[in-house]
Amino acid sequence: MKNLQLIRLLVGRELTIRYKRSVIGIGWTLLNPMLTSFVLWVVFSFLFGSRLDTGQQYAPYLMAGIVVNTFFNQGLLISAESISTNAPVLTKIYVPPQVFPISVALAGLVNFFIGLIPLTLVCLVSGQMLAWTFPLVIVVGFFLALLVAGLGLSLSLLFIRYDDTRNIVGVLLLILTYLTPVFYPLSVLSPKMQHIISLNPLTSYLDCFRWAFSHNANSTIYDWLYMGATGTLSILIGTTIFKKFWPRTVAML
Amino acid sequence: MAVIEVKNVDLTYRVLKNRTGSLKGLFRDMIRGRIRVLDFQALRDISFTVDAGEVVAILGRNGAGKSTLLKVLARVLPPTSGSVKIQGAIAPMIELGAGFHPEMTGAENVLFYSVLMGRDMKRVKGRIPAIGEWAGVSDHMDFPMRTFSSGMIARIAFSTATDEKSEVLLVDEVLSVGDADFQKKSKARMAELIKSGAAVVLVSHDMDAVRTLAHRAIWLENGAIKMEGPAKKVVAAYEKQIQ
Repeated sequence: MKNLQLIRLLVGRELTIRYKRSVIGIGWTLLNPMLTSFVLWVVFSFLFGSRLDTGQQYAPYLMAGIVVNTFFNQGLLISAESISTNAPVLTKIYVPPQVFPISVALAGLVNFFIGLIPLTLVCLVSGQMLAWTFPLVIVVGFFLALLVAGLGLSLSLLFIRYDDTRNIVGVLLLILTYLTPVFYPLSVLSPKMQHIISLNPLTSYLDCFRWAFSHNANSTIYDWLYMGATGTLSILIGTTIFKKFWPRTVAML
Repeated sequence: MAVIEVKNVDLTYRVLKNRTGSLKGLFRDMIRGRIRVLDFQALRDISFTVDAGEVVAILGRNGAGKSTLLKVLARVLPPTSGSVKIQGAIAPMIELGAGFHPEMTGAENVLFYSVLMGRDMKRVKGRIPAIGEWAGVSDHMDFPMRTFSSGMIARIAFSTATDEKSEVLLVDEVLSVGDADFQKKSKARMAELIKSGAAVVLVSHDMDAVRTLAHRAIWLENGAIKMEGPAKKVVAAYEKQIQ
């Protein structure tokens, strides 16, 4: 109960603090994905725009990719870092340390939902209607939050022990971004490459998200199962590892 | 009645003798087969109790384990073996204001800090004006913390930490907060809390403060208890040794 109050405060802080000294404040949460998508759209639309299935649009395809990719990449880095960032608190006041990575993942979820507003705009402008399956994006967001929180919890232990983990994870995330169909459609790749890319869980998250939102991709039942399984496993493994190693790690803060 | 009960507490840090603290360094050492672990025993077989309304001071040189012991009592560091039993709410007054964020307002910080200490959000919301007033920073509560002077931060932190009655106060050199006026005020509030039955564990290098405030004292050396007894007696022995 008290932890819930704390998580609520932490999520609010996470959402507002980054923009405390900016003019439009939390408006950046709306603008950011639009600006990023616009730049990538200018660069890639003529390359990939015509490679989508009929009825599918490149602009919302790209932006959906950006929204999910931002949630995963930023959420993972910030949640993994949140324990060391809050070390001054954790070494003085007893708080279950898990609340910090979990709050970051929840703040990412809120940002994800806010990101649906500009995505809707882009959909409508490019002549696409939202699909009746639209409410299912909540399921995608939920499992994405579990995935981020679980991985963030496990990585946070490494972040405390080894200073260079951040750089290594940064590079790995960049590679992962290219191994995820964020800005290209799967169909541009060779069959072998397509197979490799579809092993990436994030590919399933993206397919589910794009399909649910505006039928802008195809998703199978296996995509939904793969998403559910990886999200659930991530949080289970993350919390278990964290619980086991935290007593030994806290002394290093 | 014992509010704090510490039994046979050992605390051992296991440190990798890895010079760089980096994954790269760890990898390099692993290849060369040069991973060595070092066990550092910070606390050895510590046992004591603190009753309600009692003030116990912990003495010792730098690195003797005083702050580590305080962190074990705050439940921040889990002991390697042994047990720590504490009845009631703990107010950790260790480096006051640790949870403050410079970009958040005074009121937001007070709320956050209180909830961190396990207090109820709704109740604290009603107390914010009183907390600000006691600290003498009422006019600043809606401004970001970065505009506060360090004295103001210390005052608002003390005011927040002591606003609700806690069964246990863990104090690490925070008695010398603010100007003379505020010191008087904060000492009076501490006395009030002790009188109402709070158990206090105090770490301080100020031997005069220890003599006047503490009932008992525990002298730590190399992580073990060297001497325990009435404050005046232990302080006298400790002062004799360090001179």
